[in-house]
Amino acid sequence: MALMLYQYIGIIIGIVGLIYSFIRFRESKMSLGMLLIWSVVWIVLIFLSIFPDATVYFADLTGIGRGLDVILILGLIGCFYLIFRIYNKIENIEQEITHIAREIALQQENIGSKEKKDEEN
Amino acid sequence: MPGKPVENINSPQSFNLVDMDIWVIIPAYNEEKIIGEVLEELFSRGLKLVIIDDGSIDRTYQIARNILDSNPGRGYLYKHPINRGLGATLKTGIEVSLAKGADIMVTFDADGQHNPDDILPVCQPIIRGHADVVIGVRDFDDMPGVKKVSNQLMNLITRIFYGASVKDSQSGLRAFNRNAAVALDIESREYGISSEIIREIKHKELKMEEVPIETIYTDYAMAKGTNLKVGIKILVRMIKDALK
Repeated sequence: MALMLYQYIGIIIGIVGLIYSFIRFRESKMSLGMLLIWSVVWIVLIFLSIFPDATVYFADLTGIGRGLDVILILGLIGCFYLIFRIYNKIENIEQEITHIAREIALQQENIGSKEKKDEEN
Repeated sequence: MPGKPVENINSPQSFNLVDMDIWVIIPAYNEEKIIGEVLEELFSRGLKLVIIDDGSIDRTYQIARNILDSNPGRGYLYKHPINRGLGATLKTGIEVSLAKGADIMVTFDADGQHNPDDILPVCQPIIRGHADVVIGVRDFDDMPGVKKVSNQLMNLITRIFYGASVKDSQSGLRAFNRNAAVALDIESREYGISSEIIREIKHKELKMEEVPIETIYTDYAMAKGTNLKVGIKILVRMIKDALK
């Protein structure tokens, strides 16, 4: 069975993704949970690239019809989920930045008014 | 703390007669043109101030610093190292005021749109024990057209999403007692704070009163505050809250 070009591309992207995920994990830049999720995503990508016909099974299962459509739809859902996660993460970071800004402000009470502080002490 | 002597004992500026510690919280972001005037007016009425500079890049901080130094012991000035928005700034101000032992906290915009004479009337329901929170209600008929429509829209949105019906959800002049200030659980960093405060009043079942106030719409103030872009941001925030 000769592989089509898109299959090679899929396999390469999957392998690069796997390696990248492992490196991120090893550098403690990715949690174990995220490593597992990403590994599954990349392995599924590699698997489907090698056996594209497997998507037909999912297509029948979900009633979507064509195998490729299933992949596209799943991909879109996956993207939305990731954007959602990133959005929440940014929101959390924003709140943390605000918290830090507030702490810095409170710690530097009356900065620039040294004479006055000295008088008070 | 004694302020300047009160000439007329019946004047609304007789803060000395009030047996409660009133602190005015002033959020300021790039207000160098007007903040000096606003602060002097408030100090001349014997009020105590907590000024929070929200990372201004102009001379707001220095101007406030100088005025504060010439009124020693009557105010505090803090500066966020970076701009974090109105909501974050008010929250800093409330935290400071609570720590300094304020009985009543008044939020007062630094852009000169409020009349300092409105502060005492806004505090009255709290002083009398009738309310935990007081919102100063601007007269919408006095507002320029765009402002009027956008404020009415924000009232409507606040009602739809938070189920709270108020006369002026975006007013910057409000008063809280300690009880209310502690209860407020606010997260909005930007202008959404105004609606969020309304939500909290409803959720925490705080007693609220609405007191009419004057609004001074200068060209300067017009360019600030809630515009369409900010309104859309607030809307998105509210939809998110509603989905939580």
